[in-house]
Amino acid sequence: MLRLGDRAETRRRRKHFHGSETMKALKKALLVAGACLLSASAAEAGTVRVTIAEYSKGTGPYFEDAAKAFEAANPGTKIQIEVVPWDNLQQKLTTDIAAGANADLSIIGTRWLLDYVSQGVVAPLDSYVTPDFKARFIPTFLTPSIMNGHVYGLPIAASARAMYYNNDIFKKAGYDSAPATWADFKTAAEKIKATGGGVFPFGMQGKEIETDVYFYYAMWSYGGDIVKDGKSGLDSQAAIEAAKLYKSFIDGGLTEPGVTSYNREDVQNLFKQGKVATVITAPFLSGQIKKEAPNLNYAVAPIPAGPTGDQGTYGVTDSIVLFANSKVKDEAWKFLDFLFTTDQRTKFDKVEGFLPVNAEEAKNPIFADDRDLKVFASLLPKARFAPVIPGWEDIAQTTTNALQKIYLGQGQIEPTLKEAAAKIDETLSKK
Amino acid sequence: MNRRKLLRSLLLWALLSPIVVAILFPYAVMIITAFKAPTEVHNPTWWPSEWRWRNFPEMWQTSGFAPALANSLYVSGMTTLGAVIVSIPAAYALSRFRFLGRGAFSQFLLVSQMLSPIVLVIGLFRLVANLGMIDNLSTLVVIYAAFNIAFCVWMLQSYFSTISRDLEEAAWLEGAGRFRTLVVVFLPLAAPAIAVTAIFAFIGAWNEFVIALTMLRREENYTLPIRVFSLVAGRYTVDWQYVMAAAFAASVPVAALFAWLQRYLVRGLALGAVK
Amino acid sequence: MTRAFTPYILILPSFLLAAAIVLWPVEEIVSLATHDVNRFGMLRDFVGLANFRSLLADPDFWTSLWRTLIWTAGVVLGTLIVSMPIALILNEDFYGRGLARILIMLPWAVSLAMTAVVWRWALNGESGMLNSALRDLGLMDHNIQWLAQASTAFPMQILIGVLVSIPFTVTIFLGGLSSVPDDLYDAAAIEGAGRWDQFRLITFPLLRPFINIAFVLNTIYVFNSFPIIWATTQGGPANSTDILVTYLYKLGFRVGRLGDAAAVSLIMFAILLAFTILYVRLAMREEAAA
Repeated sequence: MLRLGDRAETRRRRKHFHGSETMKALKKALLVAGACLLSASAAEAGTVRVTIAEYSKGTGPYFEDAAKAFEAANPGTKIQIEVVPWDNLQQKLTTDIAAGANADLSIIGTRWLLDYVSQGVVAPLDSYVTPDFKARFIPTFLTPSIMNGHVYGLPIAASARAMYYNNDIFKKAGYDSAPATWADFKTAAEKIKATGGGVFPFGMQGKEIETDVYFYYAMWSYGGDIVKDGKSGLDSQAAIEAAKLYKSFIDGGLTEPGVTSYNREDVQNLFKQGKVATVITAPFLSGQIKKEAPNLNYAVAPIPAGPTGDQGTYGVTDSIVLFANSKVKDEAWKFLDFLFTTDQRTKFDKVEGFLPVNAEEAKNPIFADDRDLKVFASLLPKARFAPVIPGWEDIAQTTTNALQKIYLGQGQIEPTLKEAAAKIDETLSKK
Repeated sequence: MNRRKLLRSLLLWALLSPIVVAILFPYAVMIITAFKAPTEVHNPTWWPSEWRWRNFPEMWQTSGFAPALANSLYVSGMTTLGAVIVSIPAAYALSRFRFLGRGAFSQFLLVSQMLSPIVLVIGLFRLVANLGMIDNLSTLVVIYAAFNIAFCVWMLQSYFSTISRDLEEAAWLEGAGRFRTLVVVFLPLAAPAIAVTAIFAFIGAWNEFVIALTMLRREENYTLPIRVFSLVAGRYTVDWQYVMAAAFAASVPVAALFAWLQRYLVRGLALGAVK
Repeated sequence: MTRAFTPYILILPSFLLAAAIVLWPVEEIVSLATHDVNRFGMLRDFVGLANFRSLLADPDFWTSLWRTLIWTAGVVLGTLIVSMPIALILNEDFYGRGLARILIMLPWAVSLAMTAVVWRWALNGESGMLNSALRDLGLMDHNIQWLAQASTAFPMQILIGVLVSIPFTVTIFLGGLSSVPDDLYDAAAIEGAGRWDQFRLITFPLLRPFINIAFVLNTIYVFNSFPIIWATTQGGPANSTDILVTYLYKLGFRVGRLGDAAAVSLIMFAILLAFTILYVRLAMREEAAA
C-alpha cells in the first residue's frame, strides 16, 4: 500500500514532464501494465540506501562490514550499500536525482557541494550536529562542507598533495634532499637529465581529473588564486609565470614526453617504475608503492615554493551528504554518526590511505608515526581547498583545455589563459 | 585433392594473418598482463618473469565475479530468448505478407536504433523508476530485448526472404497448418540466421554497461561489465593484473558461444537440408 | 477472414516493446531540449529553441560535428572494406576454418568499454606494450606517445573502431553468404565464369541486402559510439578528439547542462534520420533498377 502511494506521488511530481494527452494515456496504460507484470522492488521502510563511490577495491567491503556492524547494533534499520565507480558517479547521481530515485546518503566531491546546496538537493545537518559531534573533527576538514553557516556534509575522505621524489635518482645527481623552490628544482632537474639513464626529472600530469590542480600547485607558489574577487585568476601574472615554468620543463625535456597522454595514475605508475624522479600526488601512493614497488627508495616533501616563498598544497575532501527528499533522515543520521566514530574512521582510512579527519583518530600511531603521512599532515595548515564556486567541473574543463593547448604548443601562453579566464568569468557569473 | 586443400588453407591463413595479429594484439596484452605479478605489471615486457596463476582465483574472490557471472548469463540468455521469440513472427510477417504499414514498421525499427543508450538513459530511467522496477534484472532483459529487436527482425527478414516458398506451399498442400509449417519446415531452414541473431542479442546484453549501471543498485544484482569496469573506473589504485584477468574471464563464455554457433554459419546448410 | 490481421498480430509484440522502450525516452529528451533545465533534470521555463541556438554558437559543437563525420566515415568504410574479403575467406572450405572464425569474432567477446581500456593501457607511451612490441621488432627506435596529440590519437581510435566493428560485420556477411545456393556457382562455373565474375555476378548482388544492413547499422552504431574515444582520450587533449557523443556526455554529466545535451542528441538523431532515409531511398532505387 505504502509503495503504491509513493508511486502515485512520484507520478504527480513528474506530471509536468508529460506531453500530449495521448502520450499521457499511453504512459498510464503502460505504467499499470508494467506494475502488474512485474513486482516492484522499492525499498521497505527503515532501509537507508547509501551511494558509495569506490576509491579502491577495499571500499565496498569496508562499507558492507560497517553496515553489518551497524545493523547488529540497531535492529530494525537496514543499510543498503550501493557501490558506484567514481568515473560514473556524476552520471549516476544526475540520473537518480532527475528521476527522484536517489539514495538517502551519498558520497560526493565537496567541490560539487555548492551546486547541490543551491538546487536544494541536499539537506542541512544542523539539527543533528551537536557541538560534541563537531568536536570529533579536525576543523580544517569539516570547514569545506559548511556553507552559509550550515553543515551540508561530513568529510568522508580527506587527502592533501605533496611531492614524492626518488632518492636514488636525486643522489646520483648530487642531491641529498628535495629542492625547496621551483628554481632549485629546475636546476636539479637539469642535472638529473644530464646523468642520463632515460629518467625524466618531473612527472607531469596532462590529462583527465586534476590536470587543472596539477597546474595550480605552481600557480599557488607564485602567489596566484583560482578565483579572486569573483573573477578567474587564470590570467593573473602568477598563472602566466606558472605556465611559463611548466612549459619550460616540457620544452627542456625535463618531463616525460607527451604529457597530455598521462593522467594522474599514469604518472604515478611511471614513478613506481623509477622512470620519473618526482610526482606530486596524494598519500595513497605510499600504499601502492609498498605493494607494487617495495624496493623503491623514495621520500615525501612539500611542493616546491615560488620566488616569494609562497607554497601550494591542495587539500581535498569528499563529503557524505543527506538528500533533502530522504524519508529516513533520522536513521540515516544514526548511520553517519556510526561511520564517524573514531573506530570506524580508523578502519576506513587505513584501508584507503587517506588522512584522518577525526582528531582522536589522528593521534593513533599508524597515522601519527607514519613517515609519509607526517609530511602531509604538516602541510595541512597551508593547504588550499577548492573555492566555494558554482560549476567547478565546468571551470576545471576550461582550465584543462587551455593548459593542454599550452603544453602541446598549440596556443601562446598569455592569450590562451586570457581566453580561458574570460570563459570562466562567464561561468562564475551565472546563477 | 587433400594437398590442394592444404595449400589453399595455407594461402588463406596467410591472407588472414595481418588481421588476426591485429585482433589478437589486445587479447595478448590482456592475457599476459593478467599473469603478471603486481611488481611487474607496469613493465611492458611480453614475457612475465613469473606466471602468476593465482591472479585468477584472487580476482575471482575480490571482484565478486561468480554472482556477476550468474547474473550476466541470466540476463543475456533471457534477452536472447526474448528478442528472438518476438522477432521471428515480425520477420516472418515482413517477408511473407504484403500489408499496409509494412514499410513504416521496418523504418520504425531502424529509427529505434538511432538513439545512443547514453542519450536514452535519463528518460529510460525515469520510466523504470515510475514503474518501481529499479534494481531488477528482468528490467534489463526487457530493455535489452527491445534494443535488439530491430537488428533481429531485419537480419531474420533478409534471410527469410531468401528461403523459397515452394517448401512451405508443399507442406500446406499436404495439409499442414500455417503454424505447423512455420515450426517444422521453415524455422529449421532459417537456423543460420537465427544463430546470427542469437549471437548478436546475446553479446549486446553480455557487454552492455551504461544501462545496467543506471538500473541496478545492489551489488548482488550487478552484471559482469559493471564488476569488470568498476575495477578501473576512477579508482585511486588499479590492479591491472586483476582487471585483465577479469576481462579475460568474462570473454570466455562468449568465445565458447562462438565456437558452438559458428558451425551454423556454413554455406549451403539451408539447402543441404532440402537436397 | 483472419488473414488480413495476421501480419499485424505477428508484428505487434515487437512493435509494442520497441515503442515503449524507445519512444518514451524520446519524448523526455524533447522536453529537456526545449526547457531551461537545472543540472539535476528539473525543468524550469519553456525556452523553445534557445538551447539549440546556444549550441550552434559554440565552436566546439561544430568541430565535434565535423570530426564525428570523419570518424563515422572512416570506421564504417574501413570496416566494410576489410570485412568483405574476410567473410569471403571464412566462407571457403579450408583447414582451421572454425578456429579462424572464432579468432575473428574474438574482439566481440570483450565489452567495448573493456577493449578500449585495454587499448589505452597498450598505447601508453612509456609503459605501453604496443611501443615495446614495435621496438622489439625493430620497427622504431623511440617511443611514440600515441594519445598525446590528436594527430596520432585519432587515427588510432579509428583503427580500433574498425577492429571492433569487424566481428559484427563479418557475421552479417557470413549469414548472407550462407544463403547463396551452391548450384548457382556450379552453373556459373559450367558457363566458364571466373572467380571474379562469380563474385561480381552472383555473390555481390545476393549479398546486397546484407551489405545494406551492415552499412546502415554500422553507421548508426559508430556515429553514436562512446567507449573507444572516451576511454582513450575523453575527447582530449583540448577537445581535439571530441565527437558529438563525448561532447554531449561532457555537457550533460560533467558540466550539468542537460538541456543543451538533450538538444545535441536531437540534432544527432536528425542527422542519422536524414542519412538513413537518403540511403534507404538510394538503395531501394538501385535494387529496383537492378
